[in-house]
Amino acid sequence: MTPEGREYKRDVIIETTARLMFPLILLFGLYVMIGTEGTGGGFQGGTILAAAFILYITVFGHEKGREKMPESINVFFKSFGLFLYNGAGWICILFSLGTAQWLNMPAFWPVTDFAGVAGARAWLVGSAIEVGIGLTVMAAFVSQFFDLAWKEEDEMEGDGR
Amino acid sequence: MNLAAVKSLTWMGFFTAALLIAVSLYAVEDIPAFGDENSPANKYIKLFSIDAKAGLTESLNAGAVPEEIKAGIYGMGFIKGPTCEGCQDENYPTLDEGSYEVQFIEKGTWLGGRIYTKAGWDVLIEEGEIFYNEPQQYYFISEEDGKLSVYRYNWPVRVIERTEEETFIINAVTSGLADYRGYDTMGEETVILTGAIGVILLMRRRGKL
Repeated sequence: MTPEGREYKRDVIIETTARLMFPLILLFGLYVMIGTEGTGGGFQGGTILAAAFILYITVFGHEKGREKMPESINVFFKSFGLFLYNGAGWICILFSLGTAQWLNMPAFWPVTDFAGVAGARAWLVGSAIEVGIGLTVMAAFVSQFFDLAWKEEDEMEGDGR
Repeated sequence: MNLAAVKSLTWMGFFTAALLIAVSLYAVEDIPAFGDENSPANKYIKLFSIDAKAGLTESLNAGAVPEEIKAGIYGMGFIKGPTCEGCQDENYPTLDEGSYEVQFIEKGTWLGGRIYTKAGWDVLIEEGEIFYNEPQQYYFISEEDGKLSVYRYNWPVRVIERTEEETFIINAVTSGLADYRGYDTMGEETVILTGAIGVILLMRRRGKL
């Protein structure tokens, strides 16, 4: 055990690189995730966001990783993504009085003519859906990685729980 | 049963369950039936319509596409070869003699996974593919109000041409993912959430294995 109370040796290069890359990967993940009018989409963007957190956990350990992504926020994201997706569909169905097929054109959305642009509604709904998918995917990946890391830690300690 | 003794969280649970049941019923009702003419996969595109002059319907009944309709279809760019100078080659099957067949479909026929709500002529073309070389439905011509309307079957072409008009989304992939196949994506996301919950339940069973 090192003097700082760590179980592993500190490596300046790896930690600095990870600290520098973490926000950039997050930004790139967001760019890919909100890809309603570009390339990309929710699944890919969520995976890239999860990759950023996995890099952080790999470098700094799961306790510091927990500070970045607490369990409560993880659980919230996991279900909130699905609720965002279904909520967008629900709102489209409700406001169109059931004539919309999921979020088809006849759906009424309060901002349809907000700026005189009918595409605003489609952009908003599409983005909400993509973000919902991305949040669920990210939280699912990160939580699985946390679980695996914890399991390994337990076995290393050998407390036999 | 004492209604006042029921906790508010229980009421919220009841409300959520009712909402979920309602959305499930709505989804079952909303998914188009097989053969529905207006479902995304079966809807055809109207290309153009011309006046039904004498001789056109007789020609169609005799199994030959008239020159006017051919010229209209070629004029819209459904040809083999480039449509303009220096353009990319298009690869649509052409209506050469002997390469197509015309058959009249009665109203209400069930054919090819679709119910015909209007009578008309199907133009079938053999593309010369290796493994599935059978005549395929390409154009549909129907007579309405003294006019011959020409439609084209093709799901990819419809997505490419009508996405912006129908969904206002510029990206055809997003419209397919979120709009035409929205229920599919909802199921995919639910699968991911369920898988994550399953992994949590398996991995966090401490001291029970």
